[in-house]
Amino acid sequence: MPPVIEQSFMKALFHGVISEDMIFPFPEMPAEDRENVSMILDSVRKFCAASVDSAKIDREHEIPAEVLEGLKGLGLFGLQIPTDFDGIGLSSTAYARVMQEVASVDTSIAVTLGAHQSIGLKAILLFGTPEQKRKYLPKLATGEHVAAFALTEPAAGSDAAAIKTRAELSPDGTHYVINGSKIWITNGGFADVFTVFARTSSVEEGQKPKITAFIVEREWGVKSGPSEHKLGIRGTSTTELFFDDVKVPVENVIGEVGKGFKVAMEVLNNGRLGLASGSLGLARTLMKLAIERVQERRAFGRSIGEFGLIKDKIARMLAQMFALESMTYLTTGMIDQKVADYSVESAICKVMGSEVVWEVVNETLQIAAGIGYMSDYPYERMLRDARINLIFEGTNEILRAFIALTGLQGPGKALVEVSKALREPIKGFGLLSDFAVRRAKTVLGRERMSRAHPLLSHEVVIFEDMTGELANYVDSTLRKHGRRIAEMQFAQRRVAEMAMDLYALAACISRTTRAIERRGEEGAKREIDLTRVFGGLAHRRMATIVSEFARNDDELRKSVASRAYTDGAYPFDIL
Amino acid sequence: MKILVPLKRVADPDNANKVKIPASGEKIDTTGLEPKPNPFDEYALEAALRLTENGQTPKVRAGEVIVVTFGPKECDTTLRAALATGADRAIRVDTTDDKLDGDLVARALKAIVDREKPDVVVMGKQAVDGDSNQVAQLLAEYLDWPQATFAATVHEEDGALLVGREVDGGVITLRVKLPAVVSVDLRIVAPTSVYSTKTARTFKYNDGVRFAALPAIMAAKKKPLVELKLADLTADVAPKIVYNAFQAPPARKAGIKVKDVADLVLHLKDEAKVL
Repeated sequence: MPPVIEQSFMKALFHGVISEDMIFPFPEMPAEDRENVSMILDSVRKFCAASVDSAKIDREHEIPAEVLEGLKGLGLFGLQIPTDFDGIGLSSTAYARVMQEVASVDTSIAVTLGAHQSIGLKAILLFGTPEQKRKYLPKLATGEHVAAFALTEPAAGSDAAAIKTRAELSPDGTHYVINGSKIWITNGGFADVFTVFARTSSVEEGQKPKITAFIVEREWGVKSGPSEHKLGIRGTSTTELFFDDVKVPVENVIGEVGKGFKVAMEVLNNGRLGLASGSLGLARTLMKLAIERVQERRAFGRSIGEFGLIKDKIARMLAQMFALESMTYLTTGMIDQKVADYSVESAICKVMGSEVVWEVVNETLQIAAGIGYMSDYPYERMLRDARINLIFEGTNEILRAFIALTGLQGPGKALVEVSKALREPIKGFGLLSDFAVRRAKTVLGRERMSRAHPLLSHEVVIFEDMTGELANYVDSTLRKHGRRIAEMQFAQRRVAEMAMDLYALAACISRTTRAIERRGEEGAKREIDLTRVFGGLAHRRMATIVSEFARNDDELRKSVASRAYTDGAYPFDIL
Repeated sequence: MKILVPLKRVADPDNANKVKIPASGEKIDTTGLEPKPNPFDEYALEAALRLTENGQTPKVRAGEVIVVTFGPKECDTTLRAALATGADRAIRVDTTDDKLDGDLVARALKAIVDREKPDVVVMGKQAVDGDSNQVAQLLAEYLDWPQATFAATVHEEDGALLVGREVDGGVITLRVKLPAVVSVDLRIVAPTSVYSTKTARTFKYNDGVRFAALPAIMAAKKKPLVELKLADLTADVAPKIVYNAFQAPPARKAGIKVKDVADLVLHLKDEAKVL
């Protein structure tokens, strides 16, 4: 084995290293958690069946107050807050599963709950001092206070470094004065406690700003704009926030002054898994609708479910959902096992989740056809609700760049060190030989995944081959372009998409291996079949990307786009 | 008030059509059906909780609710769900359903009642798997206690319960002195069906059974759950009812389409022989 170079399964994979001990055996919820979660889900289902009317929430652009009160009474606002602070103390896996259930009923409610605890209060949970936790978490756990996460600004979305909201230390050093505004803040209309990111350094040309995270209470003077009108998730409150000389005591800095960027990243890394499991929840509801519909709707003397094109849609959806579920709960399992670095994995889950649910909602609406388009049926609402997932908490484009660049960092660093070592051959000998071994491995033979069940050997070969392709491409691209890779978004997209399919496939293989070991080939038939269907889909996608490594029209496409910017519009007309 | 509520875990009643009977006819096969609490027992638990609280402050228990079940280790889940919903203590008598009949359960329950001395046993009128509808009546007989079966309403009075039973053409109201055995029907979970002496008669419950809040689910693990052996409760553990064979009802034959009324009459006369 090469030396341990990365603490993350995916980061290692970019080196061509398959750290299979990180994904085998497929993680499993402890029996006690399972029993608790089943009971929690039972309560959630009963509550939602009795009290939640999603069509009404969508129509009236509001979650009724009594529904919110009911959710608070159930304890759904404090799912991951430790019991010492009056929360429920769920693990990451249990939390994701509960959010999946909520999202399977209503996306507005899931997003409201997620904005509160997946991100709104997460910074206090992860980085808060004992005093901050004692002061804020108990009321947030019961929902007496609601939290929101305030990062985005008109000129600073994914580009957090462009934040203009500033926090200035008072002359006596007791508090900061915050001025500025934030946009598109979920729960912005009624939240009581905000995690606010503001710059604590002066604006200097070419200088990276220092961003700091603060806990800000509404009553210190935070003002909200009116609720924005939106395509979907209409029951959520999305508003602007205004900070006009808002005084925040220095005790309310989260983490260290100037380290707010790290706080934001950690919170978002963690929060993305709630979106992935939420996407799965909605997809499950849609799958149920789709199956009911294809069995009930008849055409040409049979139910439309009998037709090949419908079966193809259902099978693809199932395989993609299976992959999403496997990767999401593989990742939450890693977090629960205290794996420290899961940033690439969680970003992959968010991108995959939002794209799977978008495909599932689009295909289900297509299956429902005419009625799918009608507002009297839930399909169009679900389509509108699902769309936000591709945009918020990092657009899928930004996240693709993030996945690729974060993954490339390790191999990039190794290459730098190797070239350094080449200049100092004796001192660098150990490093050099490790590197040489690793390189030789990926070039001569492929890295192995040995813990998979032999029934999945075909999928394992796909995984190993494509891992080799990815690592070689990463290596040659870095050698050729070095730092310029940061500007090469076409290459980044290819790397990210290979990484996504590889992670999904690895998760399917691990999960199905466990299923076969438990229940035998017959008992694990469903898992085996879905792994094979997904393996086929992923293989074809990855093969296309590999062919593009060698030959593509990236430059042509760029120039076509640039010319269009000059033209200002579509340049043709048949007249 | 101290109340004993027997609970039974049954195969998912909403999918009862999926049970299979093997060719040997020796048992009913419920493989693949999710186990759930017997609905009438859930109603009984809800009634017991309403009787031991002021409806306005349901988190404060005035009295004690003990749940008991007969079954293997897996049934602990059913008991813990009941504890999470508000019951105070749980007892599981370790056995399996195939070793029981209604009479044996009633005798074992009598032994538990003798130990626990509840003021009232509130139970579902029947379990939806076997549909025997015997245990409440037998238990009352063995205890020599008054019984009120199929209760649709229960109002607590001083030392007694006023029980409403729906019968053809109206409602019969019984006053049973405590201690007593009450079996409940589905109407018992309507908003104004059950009142303790602490709950104002103007108060209206939510329709149906309550569900556990998440903190209560986590706290339920700390509530006592004891396991007993059937033999500790009764020396005679042989069931009196022995099932010889099970068989599915005959499948319905497909109907036929008739051309017209004349044809219909012909069929009714010649084939069905009803005319």
